[in-house]
Amino acid sequence: MQQRSVVRVGASLIVASLALTACGSRSNDEGGGSGTTTKTAKIGVIAPLSGDLSALGLGIQHSVELAVKQANDSNAIPGWKLEVDAKDDEAKPDVGKNAATSLSSDKDVIGVVGTLNSSVALQVQPVLAPKNIVQVSPANTNPSLTAGAAWQTDPKRAYPTYFRTCTTDAIQGPVAARYLFEKAKITKVATIHDKKAYGQGLVGTFAAEFKKLGGQVVAAETINPDDSNYQAVISAVKPSAPQAVYYGGEYPNAGPLSQQMKAAGLKVPLMGGDGIYDPKYIALGGKTSEGDLATSVGAPVEALPSAQKFVTDYNAAGFKDPYAAYGGYSFDAANAIIAALKVSLKDAKDVESARKATVDELSKVKFDGVTGAVAFDQYGDTTSKVLTVYKVASGKWATVETATFTG
Amino acid sequence: MSFPTLPDTFVAKHAAKGWPVGLAGVALVIIGSFMSWSFDRQILGDLSVYGYPGGLQILAIIAALLALALLLMVKGPLYSVMGHWLDAALGLRALSVWLLIYMVGILVAITTESSGLVNIDPGGWVSFVGALLLFAGSRVIPLRELRDLSETKVPGWLEIAGIAVVMAGILFGAAYALAREDAWSFVLFLVFAGGVIAAMFRTGTMTWFSHVATRQKKVLTLAAFAVAFFFPFTQNGSDANMSIATSVLIFAATAMGLNIVVGLAGLLDLGYIAFLGSGAYVAASLSQSAFATIGWKPPFLVVMLVGGLVAATLGLIIGSPTLRVSGDYLAIVTLGFGEIFRFSMFNLDGNNGPNLTNGPNGIPGIPELEIGNFNFGDPHTVLGIELGRFSNYYFVLLLLLGFIILVFSRLNDSRIGRGWIAIREDEKAAEAMGVNVFGLKILAFAVGAFLAGLAGTLKAHQDGAVSPDQYIFLESAFLLAAIVLGGMGTIAGVLIGATLLKLLPEKMRFFSEYRLLLFGLTLVLMMRFRPEGLVASRRRKLEFHEEDEELALAIESELVEEAK
Amino acid sequence: MDQFLQQLVNGLTLGSLYALIAVGYTVVYGIVQLINFAHGEVFMIGAFGALSTYLLFFDGQTGVWILPIMIIGAMIAAVGTAVLMERVAYRPLRNAPRLAPLITAIGISVFLQELVRVFYDRIPFADFPSAKQRIPFPQLDVVSGTAVQIGDVTVQRSAIFTIGALVVCAILLWYFINRTRLGRGMLAVSQDPDTARLMGINVDRIIVVAFALGAVLAAIAGVSQGLQNNNIDFKMGFIAGLKAFTAAVLGGIGNIQGAVVGGLVLGLVESMATQYVPGQFGGGTWKDVWAFVILILVLVFRPQGLLGARVVDRA
Repeated sequence: MQQRSVVRVGASLIVASLALTACGSRSNDEGGGSGTTTKTAKIGVIAPLSGDLSALGLGIQHSVELAVKQANDSNAIPGWKLEVDAKDDEAKPDVGKNAATSLSSDKDVIGVVGTLNSSVALQVQPVLAPKNIVQVSPANTNPSLTAGAAWQTDPKRAYPTYFRTCTTDAIQGPVAARYLFEKAKITKVATIHDKKAYGQGLVGTFAAEFKKLGGQVVAAETINPDDSNYQAVISAVKPSAPQAVYYGGEYPNAGPLSQQMKAAGLKVPLMGGDGIYDPKYIALGGKTSEGDLATSVGAPVEALPSAQKFVTDYNAAGFKDPYAAYGGYSFDAANAIIAALKVSLKDAKDVESARKATVDELSKVKFDGVTGAVAFDQYGDTTSKVLTVYKVASGKWATVETATFTG
Repeated sequence: MSFPTLPDTFVAKHAAKGWPVGLAGVALVIIGSFMSWSFDRQILGDLSVYGYPGGLQILAIIAALLALALLLMVKGPLYSVMGHWLDAALGLRALSVWLLIYMVGILVAITTESSGLVNIDPGGWVSFVGALLLFAGSRVIPLRELRDLSETKVPGWLEIAGIAVVMAGILFGAAYALAREDAWSFVLFLVFAGGVIAAMFRTGTMTWFSHVATRQKKVLTLAAFAVAFFFPFTQNGSDANMSIATSVLIFAATAMGLNIVVGLAGLLDLGYIAFLGSGAYVAASLSQSAFATIGWKPPFLVVMLVGGLVAATLGLIIGSPTLRVSGDYLAIVTLGFGEIFRFSMFNLDGNNGPNLTNGPNGIPGIPELEIGNFNFGDPHTVLGIELGRFSNYYFVLLLLLGFIILVFSRLNDSRIGRGWIAIREDEKAAEAMGVNVFGLKILAFAVGAFLAGLAGTLKAHQDGAVSPDQYIFLESAFLLAAIVLGGMGTIAGVLIGATLLKLLPEKMRFFSEYRLLLFGLTLVLMMRFRPEGLVASRRRKLEFHEEDEELALAIESELVEEAK
Repeated sequence: MDQFLQQLVNGLTLGSLYALIAVGYTVVYGIVQLINFAHGEVFMIGAFGALSTYLLFFDGQTGVWILPIMIIGAMIAAVGTAVLMERVAYRPLRNAPRLAPLITAIGISVFLQELVRVFYDRIPFADFPSAKQRIPFPQLDVVSGTAVQIGDVTVQRSAIFTIGALVVCAILLWYFINRTRLGRGMLAVSQDPDTARLMGINVDRIIVVAFALGAVLAAIAGVSQGLQNNNIDFKMGFIAGLKAFTAAVLGGIGNIQGAVVGGLVLGLVESMATQYVPGQFGGGTWKDVWAFVILILVLVFRPQGLLGARVVDRA
């Protein structure tokens, strides 16, 4: 297809003759002429790049790519070039663990942005931690990831290498409960979750807060995320006449659940967490998803002045997929790692020796990111506790209110 | 490989030209390999240097030298030594076809990896023309009568040396293949290896080797294990390949257990992965993980035993319907059982039933295995070579695989094994002859399950986590496929099948999108064209080709020879 | 009582779906003694055929008359797949040992799923969504409108469609088998293929017809499931196929009335188990387990099925 230009022929002849004179040395350096060598450090991404949740995963990948590209363009870390190495976890713990193993055996990997799913993170953490590779999740909301299995009674940091830029279920569930009870004046809810770490955690914190406020959880059911027909569960919930259904899980199940619920005559709003806050939810839920609610971490990316630039840059970069729900958090997560690298890589001779310092530096990082102030507390959680409630209105997610969680 | 041959008259007319043309081809391939193949130096491990061949070029040179040796066997100094025994002409034909495929692959690889045909440098074309010439020459070199290889009289030490050379080749080949980072290099190496193996088959070296193998069985087995044992030492402490190798071993060990059930007893089990899973879940629940749900923390050897016994108990339960159900129905029962296992592991999280398995999140954070003071997570240095975490597990798994193979072969040669085969061939006849059909069937399930349970306990620690979606139906299908592809009821076949099924997807990441598609297609094609598998046991082969009288005769004569 | 009636309706709906698919297993088994394990994928491809028809010709519309055309599209896709499958993969293996067709079926099953998953959005000249995620199924007003309320029992329109489809199909099927030449040919082949051949029946043709017949019903089932669940995905055939096979075995494989009865019974068992199995082992997440337990129990204790048909011994 391509025409061989004169320049190219010439170049190839010159290279060939150079190579001939350099006969007998298969050296590794590629730059050839330039004096300073740039070293490479990789930031891994572990997210679902295929499958039901790929819309969210690809948004994470591209946002990290954007952050890394900007850092490289501005030469943020002199002497170092950053690369993104994105691995697919298919939203499955087992696949995620293999992805983590392959990243952790790459000596150039210094940090990882991911995962999307809390259940995957549970298995990724122990792989990355012994190698001192930092992991910053833009989307894991299960509290036990940072504060340990007994986070309610005896919080203990689980892995020193794990951080996150999003708020946890410990905040998200209660905010939803308060909204339903105080603002929407709903006193009877049914809860349904998909048994995964995320959904279960969300429903757990929601139900606790809702009961504390004086509301009533009239039914608690679970579904299998592989199913696509929820008639059985809906029939079990319906007789208890809830005024709303709170669902812990993600949009591939939540959308059809909402549609089938309403088709079966249970015409009450479905509310969920950030996992259902995606346009695909509305596509799957159909026309009857109108009025459904979702909470999502942080203020809406489009509304923050600090985020305008991110949105413009992202669109200008021409990625195929939208930044989706976690784009801003992924961008911030990548930038947090880059901020730590500015210190830790400065005098490092290779990536492996700089890993420990990166972990230490990351806990001290403080900057104003796309989603607000980025900083981490003693467990690795973000210090920001801002959440937004969204509602489906005329086929789109519309902002209802942005709240800062207190107590 | 059945390649259409040229008409005899044509061959006779040009017979004299074959040899010199072939020689010229060899020369061109070698000369080309010392030149630059690719303009782009970033791809395929840099093939752009003059006078200093890169990895893929060295492979081409090796292939060319092999061809040279074969040419010299046709006419030249080697003729008097081996010409009467080995079919050099046929071997040359096979080798030249593969070399041509190899060179075409190189050209395609360069073209696609960097943009366009322009990136192929003169050397690439020279070698390609050489391969073409060799191919043309080999086609017209006439075949000749050979003497029967079983008449060869070679001293014992030479036979053992032959085994050593082959085993060293396998070790080196495996290490080299795994070291290929990019998919093209890996595929091209496979083509090269395919060419060497094909040439060995065609020349009759393999036939000779199989004669040697039957004579020197012990040496061969020991050598094979030595190769497997030394493999981690070729990896310089790199975990990437060792993690693949350990997963291959776990897969092979499980497939070997299934081989008892399917291959020997002929009971189709489509839920076998559940036994591996139950072993893994037992180990996880009894481990020190913060998410483990059982308070009892026995030493690992006890855990292994418990895991095996739990799996064997499940095997007994699932095996009990075999009293009444057989054939396809049994397959469906086992499939249903596998699904029940997965759903139960998925459900038992405290919301639906007691909290035993932590539901879909599984049990993460399983600590490293520790036997005595030996922690499997720490790297160890042996003979100055660092062995990483996975190497430690590799050795234990190798022991386990060895144990399973031992059980398999001892059972196969025993009264029990013959009973199984009798049941497989004709259940009613076996029963009439006094074989305890029900007892033996149950035993097959229990033994197979026990072995898979053992493998599962190790898998849990090696993986560091268990979760229900590791034990889906597709995994059972993979296990079955390993057996079917490799050759049911054989040891070597199943090992090869398991290795191919685990290794290829790991190395051909760019193909991961089509991995399952190809898997499905392979199953269909295999059943259509070679249902007995790559390495077929003789009995299987006959079963699938009943009308083939010639095959039956050949097998009969082989059996007679073995009996002598 | 309301709760019981509601679950009865749910169970019958689910059961009708299983029954429609189960007929395909039973017809093929009755003729060639082959468990066409890949039949679930025929059902899946039927659903995708209907979706494709909609996206190609009626995207965005919701009229009543679209439904029959979608069903025809589904049938074309499903029958094409089934006939091709028979011709290319099963026919060459007709005299092979019993293991071969079963493994082939697993291969076909994986292959078809992946084919849809990987290539659905790459079909030229059509702007189809990627099948790697769940795809919303078109909601036509006539089947997705307001549900019918009878007392406290809700009957969805899609449920009425599914149950109605089963009734119509059962009647047509009965007519086809007992009153047409081709149907009687099928009966003859299932009773004694060799004699049937001697009597001048083209057995190859009858086998193709059996596959096609199963595919037609599976296509209707595919459309029903799409309408009920509001979404389809490439994996939908696996569990549905397994359940339908269970239904076929439950009724007595090879027996068409049996498949229908088996399907309905299985559907009822599932929905009743959701409601009435006490404590933590009830609920939606265990219903599949109960279905498989029933399968194993039936196979062990009454392998000839509820209605009993041919002798089940294929060792």
